[in-house]
Amino acid sequence: MTHPKKKLALVIGSGAVKCAAALGLWQVLNRAGIEIDLYVGCSGGSLYAAVMALGLSAEECIEKTKSLWNRSVTKRRNWRSLLQTILPGVLGFDEFFGMVDDRPLLRNLEKAFGERTFSETRRPLHVVATNLLDGEQVVISDGRLVDALRASISIPYIWPAWRIGDQTLVDGSLVNPLPIDVAILEGAEIILAMGFESPYPHRIKSISRYAFHINSMMTNNLLRANFAFHNLAHHAEILTLLPEFDKPVRLFDTDEFSYVIDKGAKAAEEQLPYLERLLETAG
Amino acid sequence: MELISGQSNGVLVVTIQGSVDALTAGQVQGYFDDLLEKGERQIILDLSQVDFMSSAGLRVIMTVSKNLRQDGGELRLAAAQPPVEKMLKISGFTTILKSFASLDAALGSFQG
Repeated sequence: MTHPKKKLALVIGSGAVKCAAALGLWQVLNRAGIEIDLYVGCSGGSLYAAVMALGLSAEECIEKTKSLWNRSVTKRRNWRSLLQTILPGVLGFDEFFGMVDDRPLLRNLEKAFGERTFSETRRPLHVVATNLLDGEQVVISDGRLVDALRASISIPYIWPAWRIGDQTLVDGSLVNPLPIDVAILEGAEIILAMGFESPYPHRIKSISRYAFHINSMMTNNLLRANFAFHNLAHHAEILTLLPEFDKPVRLFDTDEFSYVIDKGAKAAEEQLPYLERLLETAG
Repeated sequence: MELISGQSNGVLVVTIQGSVDALTAGQVQGYFDDLLEKGERQIILDLSQVDFMSSAGLRVIMTVSKNLRQDGGELRLAAAQPPVEKMLKISGFTTILKSFASLDAALGSFQG
């Protein structure tokens, strides 16, 4: 059981399907009777942080996230947006550009979370997005879960930005791919941080691959820069879980779920003895 | 966790056996504080037997490095195992601390 004096947080960074590794971690923690006090998620990681914060079982989490994140969410092109790139003056190009129709994604999110709100989570949940207009980090901690998650996973160029109130929001990984700072700010002492670097394509043979490659470079370097600062800024302990994937796991490789979850469980098992010792020591 | 040190051509090599984490960081800090007080300035941290490093471990290495540099000395890292090397790389340590694949290479770097 968690020592009463030590607040334990789980931070799940961006990484699309790789974020499912957090479910492996969660299975290990559940078996060990370790409870998380606070969840923080960014981009793909926010989906998994949300289902865990709602208190679903590991099996329910796996089922829900599998049905939510699959290739159907990118099947339909947003033709109006694509035409706007060619005729920006005529069709009115704006900040809501996105090449993929977001209705399948929204349908999946609504099917998974309905009208559930942050107030229904069993433990506090914080979801990170980016304000498109000023580049600032936006931490969403209330309101509809669907809105927060839709904002946090708004991958640039793919899905349009999402409006919450007067803020136009996009993918949280643009500002903070592994938001350990949110856990620090919320008073966590022990932070389990699961982060994923974006893979680099072996060959760049299309404009989309080129864009993805550049985006990966920037996100990876941003993750490292923030991670360096957060490690040094925290007063207590951050256990960083970096699951090793010995084969590529791409954005929508949901058939690799079991493999990814196993890798997450393995990374967690390696850290478990130390985590248990940490939790047992006086605060 | 054990700390063992030995001299080699005027360079002190400190070998850590075990994990550098929140439970051992204090011990590591104290050990290096003593070394600084004794006047040691060129130190290699041999990480070949370190199986795990957390943020607390990273912080103590950073503190040791800064303290040494302030007194005109330097800490260099040697022979980190892949998981530890990954942590050092992702946290930016390899951009501000010289790190070598082997202890011999690290020792050689102080002779140049």
